[in-house]
Amino acid sequence: MAKMDLEPMMKPKSVAIIGASRDPDKVGHVILQNYINSGYPGRIFVVNKNADNVMGFKSYASIMDIKEKVDLAVIAIPAPYVPEALEECGKAKAKTAVVISGGFAEVGNKALQDELVKIAGKYKIPTMGPNCLGIMDPRSRVDTLFLPTYKLSRPQIGGVSFVSQSGAVGSAILDMISSEGFGLSKFISYGNAAHIDEVDILNYLIDDKETKVIVMYLEGIKRGKEFLEIARSATKAKPIIVLKAGRTSAGMQAAHSHTASLAGSYETNMALFTQFGFTIADDLNDLLYYAKAFESEPEPKGNRVAVITNGGGIGVIATDEVAASGNLKMAEFSQQTVDALKKTMPMLVNVRNPLDLAGDADGKRYEDAISAVMQDPDIDMIIVVTLFQTPGADSSVAAKLIHYKERSDKPMIGIAMGSEYTQVHKLMMESSGFPVYDSPAAAVKSLSELLKYKEYKGSH
Amino acid sequence: MQLMDYIDAKGMLDKYGIRSIESRYVNSAEQAVKFAGSDPIVMKVLSNKALHKSKSGLVLLDLRGKDEVKKAYAALLKKAKGLSPYKIIVQKMAGRGIEVIIGGRTDEQFGKVILLGLGGIYVEVFKDFALRICPIKEIDAKDMIKQLKSNSVITYNGKNEKMLTDLLLKVSKLLSSNATINELDLNPVILRENGYDVVDIRILK
Repeated sequence: MAKMDLEPMMKPKSVAIIGASRDPDKVGHVILQNYINSGYPGRIFVVNKNADNVMGFKSYASIMDIKEKVDLAVIAIPAPYVPEALEECGKAKAKTAVVISGGFAEVGNKALQDELVKIAGKYKIPTMGPNCLGIMDPRSRVDTLFLPTYKLSRPQIGGVSFVSQSGAVGSAILDMISSEGFGLSKFISYGNAAHIDEVDILNYLIDDKETKVIVMYLEGIKRGKEFLEIARSATKAKPIIVLKAGRTSAGMQAAHSHTASLAGSYETNMALFTQFGFTIADDLNDLLYYAKAFESEPEPKGNRVAVITNGGGIGVIATDEVAASGNLKMAEFSQQTVDALKKTMPMLVNVRNPLDLAGDADGKRYEDAISAVMQDPDIDMIIVVTLFQTPGADSSVAAKLIHYKERSDKPMIGIAMGSEYTQVHKLMMESSGFPVYDSPAAAVKSLSELLKYKEYKGSH
Repeated sequence: MQLMDYIDAKGMLDKYGIRSIESRYVNSAEQAVKFAGSDPIVMKVLSNKALHKSKSGLVLLDLRGKDEVKKAYAALLKKAKGLSPYKIIVQKMAGRGIEVIIGGRTDEQFGKVILLGLGGIYVEVFKDFALRICPIKEIDAKDMIKQLKSNSVITYNGKNEKMLTDLLLKVSKLLSSNATINELDLNPVILRENGYDVVDIRILK
């Protein structure tokens, strides 16, 4: 099957909102409001035959009445009217469509959905949905989400593209991302996957230059064979982090052999991801942990980790996590590093890995430690623990870390745990591309996945 | 789904260079004695009416010498009466070694998959197995072995790893080339010092 061109959907020069309404309770109202709020620079057209004017926009009775070309039609009207609206999109030569409306296969109305697919095929309009949140692209300021901006913060611009069949998981993730300091390339919630499905989306995102990391929440895979074909080479292009629902699904066919009783459909999905170098997340938190590491960090050259900390205990826990990770190990400082640290560190600092800078460590001490460790050829990755509760740890520490992070060609990530004061500094660091984790376990497993992915690419 | 005849299944394995333990059907105690020669053998009743052979006492192990083989044949013949149609099969005893299971099945979405697990309780209780989509490459076979939590039990002997890698590649080829196979169990496969034996075969078409 030919690749679907989703570019006009993500980067539309003009958008028609079919079902845009004056009634604030209507989905079509929120969508139009969001387009206005986001400062979308293209042309906005309102289609609503029951109004002359919606929120200051002239209202057209049909998309066919619009004289200009429409790149994206957003359809948010009751399900029974959707096929007709899509037919009109076809006649008006709209390039793409997103059907927000629910009331199709998800409620048993397969016939109505089939009709939609037929029309999309007939006019060759790539159609997202139905029953979806739709798409968001902070660069083009496309935002078909019917969730008001005051309820759901929108993340900053970045390199992570997030794909979710489920709208609920999608919006929760979006909200979580916006409080993490990393950015979004595309958000795609594709609902019933009637026309555009996982395969089309993956195809698009693999080629998309703005997407550095693909994150997928998958409930099912519609076209197994096609998915398998793309999966074989997809991760050579960019990392794909996947969370697959249905781990405990009992929907397995009766098994006649040991093999069939062990290897059900979930396990087979996992096998595919493992085999073709996908990064597997065990829960939603993992998705975020891995996404931010993959977005900001360079590839590690090896598996040797240095830990720098202002709290001995957290350093020890991080060391344990490194040992338990299966693929990482604690680095041994080179003689040069040891000599440099002995010169700069106070007597109470024991020069070894993990490097405990002591509770009174300030910006200067972090600076001396990091500048030495960064240059050590025997160290491949660096974890910096900053407990901002201690007297010396303030904004100058965060500023120093950011300074050296920008000059580091090694993965360098942080661990910081705490409430408001910590969170402010975490955000400060993350918005400068320094990922900060809230536990040693989260930080270490993120590095472990970075290394796994790099090694996969090198060996497959 | 239908269980493929054991000797036919063995023949299929042979074609892909997968060595399974020497086996044949016998119709008399004399045939069994002749098959055994001076080796210890296993004797089993195969019948669709008794799928759990060992639980039903339809498997007799480590039979040595003329008398033991003859006695076993008579005993199994008696037990098999109610299980018609049945067949009595004799096999050479496998040497001692590490037991693994190699399996396959047809997944609705992705086609053939191949499984490797350490035999006995490891795969059953600890669910310690590795799975891949066929066809697999050499690196995939190596990854499968590495992925097992119990991999050090297998790879303590460097020769085992190479042997098992080759075997997995052959099974993958067999699975990929035979669309009609729904499920396959080679269980156990015994890895010995200088080779391996597929001891039991189940192919469901």
